[in-house]
Amino acid sequence: MVSINTVMIILLYGATFSGILALISSGFTLIFGVSRILNFAHGAFFMMGAYIGIYFVQQLNLDPILSSLISIILVGIFSIAAYITIIYPVIKNEVMTIIVTLALALLIEQVILLTYGEFGLSYPRLVAGTLTIGDVVIPMVRLTILAISILTILGLWIFIDRTRIGKEINAASQDPEGAILIGLNVNKIYAITIFVSAVLAALSGILYSQMYAANPFQILNSLILAFSIVILGGLGSVKGSIISSFIVGFIYIAVTTLIGARWSEFIALAIIIVILIVKPTGLFGVEE
Amino acid sequence: MSKLRKYWNIDIGQLSYLIGFLLVMGVLPIFLPDTLLYILGLTFIFIVFAVSWDFMTGLVGEVNLGHTIFIGVGGYVTALLNVPTRFKNTFLDILTNIPPPPIPITILLGGVIAAITGILIGLITLRLRGWYFALVTAILPLLFIKATYVLKDIFGGEEGFSVGLSKALAPDTIGKYIITLLFMAASILILYGIKNSKLGLTLIAIREDNTLAEALGINIYLYKVFAMGISSFFAGVSGALLVHYRVTISPDLFDVPLMLLIILAVVIGGLGTLIGPIIGGFLIYLLKYWVLKVYLIPYIPTTIPINDDIILYILLIIIAVLMPHGIYERLKRFYMAM
Repeated sequence: MVSINTVMIILLYGATFSGILALISSGFTLIFGVSRILNFAHGAFFMMGAYIGIYFVQQLNLDPILSSLISIILVGIFSIAAYITIIYPVIKNEVMTIIVTLALALLIEQVILLTYGEFGLSYPRLVAGTLTIGDVVIPMVRLTILAISILTILGLWIFIDRTRIGKEINAASQDPEGAILIGLNVNKIYAITIFVSAVLAALSGILYSQMYAANPFQILNSLILAFSIVILGGLGSVKGSIISSFIVGFIYIAVTTLIGARWSEFIALAIIIVILIVKPTGLFGVEE
Repeated sequence: MSKLRKYWNIDIGQLSYLIGFLLVMGVLPIFLPDTLLYILGLTFIFIVFAVSWDFMTGLVGEVNLGHTIFIGVGGYVTALLNVPTRFKNTFLDILTNIPPPPIPITILLGGVIAAITGILIGLITLRLRGWYFALVTAILPLLFIKATYVLKDIFGGEEGFSVGLSKALAPDTIGKYIITLLFMAASILILYGIKNSKLGLTLIAIREDNTLAEALGINIYLYKVFAMGISSFFAGVSGALLVHYRVTISPDLFDVPLMLLIILAVVIGGLGTLIGPIIGGFLIYLLKYWVLKVYLIPYIPTTIPINDDIILYILLIIIAVLMPHGIYERLKRFYMAM
């Protein structure tokens, strides 16, 4: 019999985990939807957010919140630099785009492995304290994470839907050539998009390492869940990936809590296979 | 000969280089020490990894990021068939008493199971645009590695297991060297033959223009799946061969660094050329396991976060950005201009 506490834990942990997943996968799907770049370095941006933040807290004794902000901006700048130097030259070549971003991801993984080792590192808490509801003790940090993710997702929605630059991004994703014709600088739009996408990844990396340990292997492992989410939500659909983040997140946490963590990643695989066979465009994907 | 050229469209120049390369490799054992021969044998197997990957990604144009799946599947199939006691006291206990078939059969079975795996993945993903194929093949190796950890009793977890010295490919290094050389020669000639046959031309047509190929009545989906089967068969057989060469198996056969090394070899040699990856595979494998390991890495101070993998990844990015057609095409163009 599943106790009420277990249900509470699944609901709360599922919600926070889903929020983090939503941040990762919406960034991944955003850059894909706009520029058709499959960014395999997205998981690297995710872990860089955590490790750079940890570096500033540990080495320079900065406040965790300040370090997080610096880290997020640095990862964003890094992503633009990566776009200009290595992605832009091969952007017309789908095969090479995938290869250079994957190589970049592994490069970053190796650098982290050599500097921090393969053991997990936890991020200093952004907020302390706990909240007790009934018998369940809830760390305040989880509620903060949930709030930050929801606010960020709302912010992303306002950014894309209401601001001028967001509308330009939308236009470029619908028709790159048309966007050029009406005088938009598509290249600049791609650079801004990858910046936003990397910022989302870095933020989720920081939030992730508030609850779990940051670990260089997460650079590739995070892609397992991210890919299953974007395939479920429809490749390129930000709305789809946010909704399916909550589906995948709750399923993942329910399976880990009730059955055990051993097979949890295989859930992602099962979701991918079922979606690809039954409805390859995903829940919200556009027909290509 | 002219009739052969007409049907098979074979570039005699390329073929003669290839035969020359094989002949040189054939006489090398007279001059080289065993340690180097051992590395060269591994290089030959690696070249088959590279050429069979190029068959799918270069020739057909679908980015397969999970070629190591088939290498690993081939390897584990032959290893488990030869050491059935690994199934003892697991849910697959009934398999324990299967007598191991002869090694050539188990190696071939490794290739067959790998091909079936490849065809299944292809059937599910190749109906769709290439992105899905890339995404799915990218994460599958990670899940296969995870499976070897979870089913530790059977697959031996992170350390893997040994198949026993009696299951080695040959009792001595020279024997292993010759077997891998012959295997490489056969695989290259078969894949090269397929590339230049009508089937190969159809595959290239599909790569160049999906829509046009479909309009000509080519069932691009089935052709792609078929190519996937061929590519993963060779990966599986060479993975199985590697197990009997090293006498051990471990999940590193599935791992992403090996995949990137294969990609690097092919990108350096030139995607879609099949000949390029032979040169690339030869250079890269020796660079990583001989040149860098012996002459460079020991001299880098440990305070600088650089290892051989980082050097190779940087090399891959530089080559991909500056010479996306590979060194082979570059040299050919240079040669033409002369």
